[in-house]
Parts: sequence; C-alpha cells; structure tokens
Amino acid sequence: MKFFTTFRKKSPWILHYNAGSCNGCDIEILASLAPKFDLERFGVINTGNPKQSDIFLVTGPVTYRSRERLVELYTQIPEPKVVVAVGSCTATGGVFRGMVNTEDGIDRYIPVDVYVPGCASSPQLIIDGLVKALEILEAKSKEIEKPFKLFGAIETIGNKLSRLNMAKKVHNDEN
Amino acid sequence: MTWIWILLAPLLGGLIYGGERVLRARMQRRQGPPLLQPFYDMFKLLDKRTLIIHAPHALLAVAHFLVLWFTVAAIFLGWNLLYIIFLHLFAQILLILAGYSVRSVYSHLGANRELLMVVAYEPILIVVAVGFYLISGSFEISTILQGGGYWHQLPLLFVALLIIVPIKVKKSPFDVGEAHQEIVGGIEIEYSGVFYEFLYMSRFLEYIFIYSFVFLFGGESYWLGAVLVAGTFLVVNLVDNATARVHTADMLKIVYGVAMSLAIINILGVLL
Repeated sequence: MKFFTTFRKKSPWILHYNAGSCNGCDIEILASLAPKFDLERFGVINTGNPKQSDIFLVTGPVTYRSRERLVELYTQIPEPKVVVAVGSCTATGGVFRGMVNTEDGIDRYIPVDVYVPGCASSPQLIIDGLVKALEILEAKSKEIEKPFKLFGAIETIGNKLSRLNMAKKVHNDEN
Repeated sequence: MTWIWILLAPLLGGLIYGGERVLRARMQRRQGPPLLQPFYDMFKLLDKRTLIIHAPHALLAVAHFLVLWFTVAAIFLGWNLLYIIFLHLFAQILLILAGYSVRSVYSHLGANRELLMVVAYEPILIVVAVGFYLISGSFEISTILQGGGYWHQLPLLFVALLIIVPIKVKKSPFDVGEAHQEIVGGIEIEYSGVFYEFLYMSRFLEYIFIYSFVFLFGGESYWLGAVLVAGTFLVVNLVDNATARVHTADMLKIVYGVAMSLAIINILGVLL
C-alpha cells in the first residue's frame, strides 16, 4: 500500500555480515552505530536477524567459506530489501583480488544496490551510502529478488514460495 | 472512558517505548530516534513480505498479543490482582509454546530462558499482590486504589518489584530472554513481517502491565503513583545503560536471594 511505503525509509533495520573481511570495515560500521555518529537517529536498528531486516550490509571479498552463508542470508531477508557493499574488497576484491580462496566482490553472487568505497570506508561514507540505500528501498517493489549463483529456479509448495527448499539447494550446488 | 483507554493501550505503550529509546539515547549523549519511531517500525513491518514457519507458530504470537491486551484491559477495569497475574502467565505460556514449536535452536534457547524468567518474577508478583491484600484487605485493584499508605508500609516489597521490572521489560542486567547479539532475540527469531509486529506490540503492553504494578504503590494518590512510575522508569534505564547482561542462573540467584528475601521480610513485618 502506498501509505505504508513512505515508512520504509524511516525505519531501516540492518543486517551486518562479514564475508571474510579483515575487520576494518566492520569496526567502521560499529563506529557509525556508536554514539558519535549515531545511526539510530535514522531509526536504524542492528537486528542481527535476517527475517526482520531491510538492509543487508556486507563487508569483505567473498571467501569460499562464506559464500553459501551469504546467499542463504540474502534469501532469508523478506522483500523489499537492499544490499549495501561496504569497502573496496566487497566491490572489486580489493587487495584480495585474484587470490586462490576468494571471489572478487559480492556482485557475482547477489545483486548489489549501493557500493561504498574505501579501505576501510569511513563512517561518513557508510552513513552516506545508507541514506542513498533508503531512497532505493522506498522505490523498490515487493517482487522476489534472486541471487545470481547457487540458487537455481524458484521452488514452490502448492502455490507458495518455499524458501526452505531453495536454501537446501544452496548446499547441494557446487558451482 | 475506560474503554477508550483500553483501546488506546498499545498506542500508549508505544509512546512509552519511543520515549524510552529517546531517553536512553540522551543518557548516552546522542540524538536518538524520533519519539514516534515504534509506530514507524510498525507501519514498515506491515509493508514487508511475511515468511511463516507454520500456522500455529504464527497464530500463537497473535494469541499472546490478544491475551496480553485482555490482561491490560482487566487492569484498567480494576479487576482482581491475582486473576490478572495468572492471565499474564497464560499469555507468557502461549509465547513459550510458540518458541518450542519450531526447530530453531535459538528459539528453543529463548523459550528456555523465558521460562526461567517466568519462574523468577512470578513469585515476586504474587507476594506483591499478597502485600496489597494485607494492607487494603482486598485483591481488587479498584479497592486497592481507594486505600493508601502502601508506600510507607511496603518499602522493601517496592524494592523487590524494582528488581524484577528489568526482567519484564527486557532490560540489562536481566535481558537474558532477548539477548540481542547472543541468541538473536530468542523466541522472536523466526517471526517476520506482520506476525513479528504482534510480538513488537506485545512488548508495549508489557510496559503498561509492569508499570501499573508500580503505579498501585501510590494508592489513592495518583500523583504519588505517577511520580513512582517516572522514578522507576529513570532508574531502570539508568541501570540498563550502566550494566552488562548477567548469566541466567545468576539472575535466578539474585531474584530469589535478594528480591524474595526482601519481600518476605516485609510481609513478615506487616504480619507481626
């Protein structure tokens, strides 16, 4: 409904996931949530629960260990959702680009809406990126968004979407 | 007039919750969210897609909210205090059943902790009701509110109630049931969208439930009651900002060791 859509940007709840980052960007994200930069003034809550989140904050190049969890977490977030890639590694692979055990950035696996540059990106940049993400969030529809890899076709039981069956396939597929 | 208050109870609780978030932000010297933030969150949750585990799990959250609302209505109508405490227990049991009905480990852990919290605070609430009975001669809230002098005769019982208020409103040091980054909200973990909203709103009603017990200590003087509620609100938030979460077993030890002894000493003092 149109009336409720305007409230999306007033209460963005974030899910923060570290896909093999060096911890630099994670500390900056925590700094932007802490009293000095105070992200909570936008209504942001760091939920830590994908089922109640709107914004997916990812840091780090995707290591082979973390890619299944990345896709799984992404599929568990109900639509409308927005992905923010924080840091150079998440956008291009950064200093880890071309290494044997990492992928070069998360956009090989899931669609990214906002890229925040920097190694590590500063709290000001992260807040700027989040505010940009809120505009995108407000314009989005509630259509199902799919990751690019490790996912396959949409699974249904009866008429309804089965996220459990889709999540199972993530582990079975090795591509 | 009372019926309007009952209908507006979740909104009133939402305002208390919003005010609390602002107050906590100011205590940490930051700006904090707007006062109406809980309502923005509610409207946003209505707009999200909802993922349901199975129907009873989702409906138990709705039932929990409705029973709590009925409990708050019973408080506003001035019914029997014991009846209200057991209605509230019924609402908690529904929530705990919901926690056990899914296979998530965190949900089970949260339900276990919620059960321990009920075990911790329930005896104190009943002893508080007994204390009111000994002074006023009745368990009816409408009769209790016509009497007075609870504040002078039951000071230790008030301290005992003060110790269990953080358990009920899920604040540090007794927020084991929710424990955000530790068990990710416990029972709340598998809820999303509209059904999470019912749990979110039932938290507003919990605020009204527990603070109305504090209000009763004012007796016939509503001003004294309001001052007590405001003071408790401040103290609880101050303690929340200044302490870390205690272990579940330590919570039980503190509540049974300190709060229960204080309450029993006070009851014996009134009796003898």
